Amino acid sequence: MSEAPLPVDADDAAADTTRRARDSVWWAYFPVMVTAVVLAGVPLVIGDSRFFMGLAVLGLAYAGYGVGFNIIFGNTNQLFLCLGALAGVGAYGSSILGSEMDLPMLVTIPLSVAGAALLGAVFSWVSVRRRLDVIFVGIITLTFSLMFINLLLGQRDLTGGETGLVILYDAGVVGRRGTASFYVFLAVLVAFLAAHRWIQRSHIGWAFRALRDDELAAELAGIDVARYKVVGGIVGSAMVGLIGALYAHYEGFISPTTFELGNVDVPVLVMVAFGGIGSLLAPVIGSAVFTVVDEVLRPFSQLRVAVYGVILLTLFLGFRRGLIPAATDLLRRVTRRR
Amino acid sequence: MAVVFDGVAYGLQLGLLAVGLTMIYGLGGVLNLAHGQFAVLAAIAIAVLSDRLPTPAALVAGLAIAALAALATDATIMRAVYRLDGEARVLLSLLLTIGLAFVIDGLLIYNYPFTQLKLSVPGPAVDILGVPMRRGSLAASALALSALALLIVFLRYTRRGRAVRSVIQDEEGAQLCGIDPARVRTAVFALSGALAGLAAVAEGLTSSVSATDGTELTILALIVTVVGGLGSVAGALLAGLLLGLVYTMSQVYIGTYVTLVILLLTAMVTILIRPAGLLGRGV
Amino acid sequence: MLQVEDLDAGYGESLAVHAVSLHVDGGEAVAVIGSNGAGKTTLLRAICGLLRPRAGTVTFNSESLVGEPAHRIARRGVAYVPAERHLFPAMSVQENLELGAYPLRADRRQLELVFELFPRLRDLLSQQAGTMSGGEQQMLAVGRALMSRPGLLMLDEPTTGLAPILAEEAYASLGVLRGEGTTVLVAEQQVPLALDLADRAYVIEDGRIQMEGPAGDLQGNPDVRRAYMGIA
Repeated sequence: MSEAPLPVDADDAAADTTRRARDSVWWAYFPVMVTAVVLAGVPLVIGDSRFFMGLAVLGLAYAGYGVGFNIIFGNTNQLFLCLGALAGVGAYGSSILGSEMDLPMLVTIPLSVAGAALLGAVFSWVSVRRRLDVIFVGIITLTFSLMFINLLLGQRDLTGGETGLVILYDAGVVGRRGTASFYVFLAVLVAFLAAHRWIQRSHIGWAFRALRDDELAAELAGIDVARYKVVGGIVGSAMVGLIGALYAHYEGFISPTTFELGNVDVPVLVMVAFGGIGSLLAPVIGSAVFTVVDEVLRPFSQLRVAVYGVILLTLFLGFRRGLIPAATDLLRRVTRRR
Repeated sequence: MAVVFDGVAYGLQLGLLAVGLTMIYGLGGVLNLAHGQFAVLAAIAIAVLSDRLPTPAALVAGLAIAALAALATDATIMRAVYRLDGEARVLLSLLLTIGLAFVIDGLLIYNYPFTQLKLSVPGPAVDILGVPMRRGSLAASALALSALALLIVFLRYTRRGRAVRSVIQDEEGAQLCGIDPARVRTAVFALSGALAGLAAVAEGLTSSVSATDGTELTILALIVTVVGGLGSVAGALLAGLLLGLVYTMSQVYIGTYVTLVILLLTAMVTILIRPAGLLGRGV
Repeated sequence: MLQVEDLDAGYGESLAVHAVSLHVDGGEAVAVIGSNGAGKTTLLRAICGLLRPRAGTVTFNSESLVGEPAHRIARRGVAYVPAERHLFPAMSVQENLELGAYPLRADRRQLELVFELFPRLRDLLSQQAGTMSGGEQQMLAVGRALMSRPGLLMLDEPTTGLAPILAEEAYASLGVLRGEGTTVLVAEQQVPLALDLADRAYVIEDGRIQMEGPAGDLQGNPDVRRAYMGIA
């Protein structure tokens, strides 16, 4: 009890136990476990509908992309607008390696994930080297995304061009539509969340926070900013690549449209920003909300895009920092008043 | 030679598309990701109105609609954005204008799925230095060139144009001279809407513009802006010309999808070599 | 002419200026002296509207300036020359000067007056402000402020970054302006120069006025001499 100068009464003692609980490992991973338990129950509710299960898997995939993006952008301040391309590297890499070289999925997925991670490392390294601002990292990676999509469209022999690629060989559990694949994606998502929390609590997370607050000050304090940014880029990109690869094998079909900016980067950015950039559960909450919203709006056809836009405007004009920080603030204010 | 002409023609169009975006960034440190959508809004308005109005009136009305839409954006969304500073400001502008782009895209694609702006200038090709040029392409170049020339004259030689440059170069200095940066930003936002509309007209003279083209135009404008140097009007022109030439040359000599890849690669390399852009900041 | 009462101002949570009151009468030259970080810049920025005062009143020609945006205060006739000058670096000397007169539109006669004071600027007319030397930039900053024919000329550390000889020249030209009847409020840590120029002066430390009086009295004050003039 080193922080004892405050008079200890019943209230403070209670506050102290909660503080200690908060510092404990269990408390740190509590949100991850709650997410796992709640989401594990989803198939019990909608398990008999293939359609809804498909939607749920898509939601998990977006949440997975979101965790990767959250680590890259939310923690190390690098605006990667090439999530679609990274996922595409995972997806196309794994499928093409599988079909052309006849390798099993357990080999192709790690290889393609390594490819995505390498790409992320290159982007991070180059932008650190050239001391690019957030916006410039965004534009460089955005330009790369467009290039990647064009390459996919152009290299017809390998990628099938705009018609896409049908993945013929058996993908095992991942490819078995319904509950089995749902739990695979859920396991991956929970592992991502746990990894993110682990990073936050380790010395890496401490460095991340320092460099996010003030890069220059972090550098002066002796933190190797370049190294940590590259670490962030690698970890996040690998996550995005893995989801891309898994999704390709699950869906059995990929095309350039699947990995377009508007189909990956923009929704993920919106979801994570909606939840609160940097918050652990932001990707989960954002993805859950927007998967539902998207489905509700489906009957409106093209008008849906406009409604989506209106929702975005209202949200970002209302809760600028995202829903989770806003809610935490509110909660804190309410508890303090009491 | 023909390649160079085509490249310059396309480059001028790219420059015209990007100048509005770069001025807005220079003035307030914000990015407008609905820029291409303003262009498409003008294009669709002109296409729809030209059924009822003589073409010149439709053109003016279309540009006015884009300017008004930009004005409305400045009065609503941008108010919230300018209340923040630095990085938070750019990010909020990004998120909000993506939302706005969705709104404009959704409404236009829903209401006018098949409308196209295609302006034809009848007549045979004109011979210029031994190169036959299509009249539409010449008209587009003339339009882009005169609009850009007018813009530069405005910025360099008029009192209000100088006020715009003063806010870009030193906002606090401008305030101390009695210039209201907020008013300058509003006026230039409206102007950027009209300029985007003009770029769409130029595009309509050479090919066509439809409701789904907004995002592509936004991204092109963004790339040209960054290659030229965020906030630099002259840089945007230079970058437009550079990328236009690269595009048409690789189209002629290499062809197919590689053209766009080369354009994008050029952009990436330029940004990496000169992160501040070809001409850095300053007008 | 300028009346400041009980002014509080600062950035973020903290106040850099506490309950400062001062006044400048028409035709007077007044100095605010104090060391680095004493609150001089914050005080001037709060007067000219670049910083919104937390409390207190600022009146200029018996009109309140509190809450007015900086550009409107500039139009009322309060010209401010910040220490960093805030020139337009990619514009010529002429363009900078003409922008100084933005609300009035450029005026040939006023331009001639500025050239009379700073003949050097006439030679540099088409030079870009960003490429000029520190002394030249200082002249241009003062010249630009004068273009609006201000009722009150406020300067923050006009000697920043200048060699001693140039600093003296800068004060010499301020002396000329004062002789012509321009009202001047100058914040300065080069205390001897400022006290030579001023009729009256305020000593500010830790955001509070510690002393005030005729410049001559302060020049003779042993505390002031010890603290600011390096004389025991």
